[in-house]
Amino acid sequence: MREQVVCKTSDIEPGEMMKSTFGKQNVLICRTPDGEFYAFMNQCIHQGAPLDKGMMCGAATELSTPGDYDYSHEGEIIRCPWHGREFNIKNEGRMLANPDKKIPSFKVRIEEENVILFK
Amino acid sequence: MTNQKIPLVDTDIHERVCYSDILDKLDEPFKHYIENCHWIQEKHMPYTQPSVAGVDRADAVLPDGRPAGSDLGFMQEQLLDEIGHEYGILTSALDPSPSSMHGWHEMAAALASAYNDWQIENWLDIDERLYGSVHVAAQDREAAIQEIERVGDHPKMVQVLLPIDDIMWGEPYYHPIFEAAEKHNLMIGMHHNEPPVYYGKWPRYFIEWHTLIPTAHMKQITSMMFNGVFEKFPNLGLMMIEGGFTFIPHLMWKMDQQYRDLRHEVPWLKRKPSQIMKEQVRFTTQPAEELTKKEFTSLLEQMGTDEMLCFSTDYPHWDYDSPHRALPNMDRELKQRIFADNAKNFYPKLPNDD
Repeated sequence: MREQVVCKTSDIEPGEMMKSTFGKQNVLICRTPDGEFYAFMNQCIHQGAPLDKGMMCGAATELSTPGDYDYSHEGEIIRCPWHGREFNIKNEGRMLANPDKKIPSFKVRIEEENVILFK
Repeated sequence: MTNQKIPLVDTDIHERVCYSDILDKLDEPFKHYIENCHWIQEKHMPYTQPSVAGVDRADAVLPDGRPAGSDLGFMQEQLLDEIGHEYGILTSALDPSPSSMHGWHEMAAALASAYNDWQIENWLDIDERLYGSVHVAAQDREAAIQEIERVGDHPKMVQVLLPIDDIMWGEPYYHPIFEAAEKHNLMIGMHHNEPPVYYGKWPRYFIEWHTLIPTAHMKQITSMMFNGVFEKFPNLGLMMIEGGFTFIPHLMWKMDQQYRDLRHEVPWLKRKPSQIMKEQVRFTTQPAEELTKKEFTSLLEQMGTDEMLCFSTDYPHWDYDSPHRALPNMDRELKQRIFADNAKNFYPKLPNDD
């Protein structure tokens, strides 16, 4: 098993994200508003944009109906810095417009102050 | 990002000017109107912005907060050096088009001249890879011709930009602009504007507007085609910028079929419209639809030529196309044509060693 400390829990406030490296891999560490940590490849699956330059926000969801917006998942959506594609952090990094596609993710565990990625 | 270098002539790069950059190049009273009377261009899309940093790539906004595309050094680092551009064609973000100037063509003409001087001084004369576009206030025909005469001979100006707006450029009144461009070995470039629908208005959603941009390109090509612009100016070429390219076979088939039925109305066309397109019209690739290799190959077969497409990134805008990721894999010869040779063969003033 490969594992590595990628940052401290205090490095990221809830609702924020930062880039790090896991071995040679550029990774994105996200902390959702509930305090949980998630990690993804820091590269959009569409054209390779660096996701840490995007933002964490909410989204108008699939529950919306014509003319009636349903907005939720505040702080749980990654928006790509280039084309604005939305990915749900809490749903395995799946793309809102096409849930069959997702950003490759990494397992995360917290030990004391350490955020640890492992395979 | 990969560092793999590919031959690339990027046919759509947006450098950006701030009014403060060109004040010293503006004649009075236009400088006064900006500096003391607070004129700004009214240009507003009535939508939520498409992406995180408005219409720009969020990572292209300068570290000090200046807008994306406004600093050559940063563009060199993030785009030209990183990708390994051989040449790039600047298409700017200044827009002296009729709808954004609301009829004030005197200000539009002054801005275009100041802009051209600024572009030459700060971009074309500094980075040997960059080539430029002559900006004109085309709604004022005589002023546009004067500007083409003034800067059209600059060795790095390769085209005249006409807006896709509320004028259909096939209209014979504007043909002297094409005559002036042809005289200076300049091609015509048309980049989409807002709103792009001829005499239309904004649709309800950004996604509707952005989806329909190719329809505005089709209208301009059709207008120039049947008004005989390409027959009248056989050395003139038209580069359609940022409208995509998957509509090309449809337009070729449709115009050919219409021509067979209705030639009597436009007897000055001596060649099939599709043939004219193959010879004189080119298309930048961005924003590329996500095609499979099979779909892309099929599309080229339907066009009957692989010489019409010219790769573009649209840097630094939000819908930037990565040279490494936007198009399907293709063999080296085809890639050489689409990413470099087609543009070199199109622009007479672009160096072409072949």
